[in-house]
Amino acid sequence: MSPDLARANAVVRRGFWISALAFLGIAGVYVLALGFTPVEARQGVAQKIFYLHVPAAWCALLAFSLVGIVSALYLWLHDPRLDLFAASSAEVGVTFSAVMLTTGPIWAKPIWGTWWTWDARLTLTLFLFFLFVGYLALRAAIHDRQERARFSAVVGIMGLLLVPFIHLSVYLFRTLHPQPVVLKPSAPSLPPEMLRTLLISFAMFSLLYLGFVTVRYGIGLALEARELRDAG
Amino acid sequence: MPVEPPANGGYAVAAYIVAAVILLGYGIGLWRRARKAMNGGE
Repeated sequence: MSPDLARANAVVRRGFWISALAFLGIAGVYVLALGFTPVEARQGVAQKIFYLHVPAAWCALLAFSLVGIVSALYLWLHDPRLDLFAASSAEVGVTFSAVMLTTGPIWAKPIWGTWWTWDARLTLTLFLFFLFVGYLALRAAIHDRQERARFSAVVGIMGLLLVPFIHLSVYLFRTLHPQPVVLKPSAPSLPPEMLRTLLISFAMFSLLYLGFVTVRYGIGLALEARELRDAG
Repeated sequence: MPVEPPANGGYAVAAYIVAAVILLGYGIGLWRRARKAMNGGE
């Protein structure tokens, strides 16, 4: 095994260990949320979807924000590691978006009486998801490495511009979507038992983001090492 | 008078299953891709 491939292998292994730890933690969150966190009086058990939906949304927006920031850095520094990180974070962000966009409507049906409504928060989030699906399609369609990195960096920065609008959309527009309960200027507005479960879930989902991105980055390194070896 | 919470636990269970399927599915996909990348070509 070449040194580059061995290094990629080590990164992938590290990522898998982090992901495994995060999955164990998320299993704990499932038990904690479903068995040991109080049922909200007006929304019932469906409110517990919140402990998955909100951390998934946090990870998706974190992932897409990092794609935008790292893409801007790529256009400045032209370091291919930045491009590889952006591609990894975008793919993982799309996965967390899928969790957010499926658990949200499952919560909305019993609470709002409808699976979906075209309000600002939901619509902008769906656009962001499609934008990054397009980002991944663009990457798959361009074979020249530098051209692919440059074009996708521009799309990644466009995605970053949407993120603050999504976070502030509940203040800027009339919307059905609940306002933030944790990421807001004032203190969190949740009972301590619910806040504890939510914060643990935030930590475990963030760890899973880190694990997935590390594995995906390692796979990219391995493919590059193989390409270089085959070319040489 | 105490309010009786609505009986909608099925939605919560469905959401928890869907989230697990998506995250585990992606994790298994990454594992397969990593094995392919390490053992030759993706």
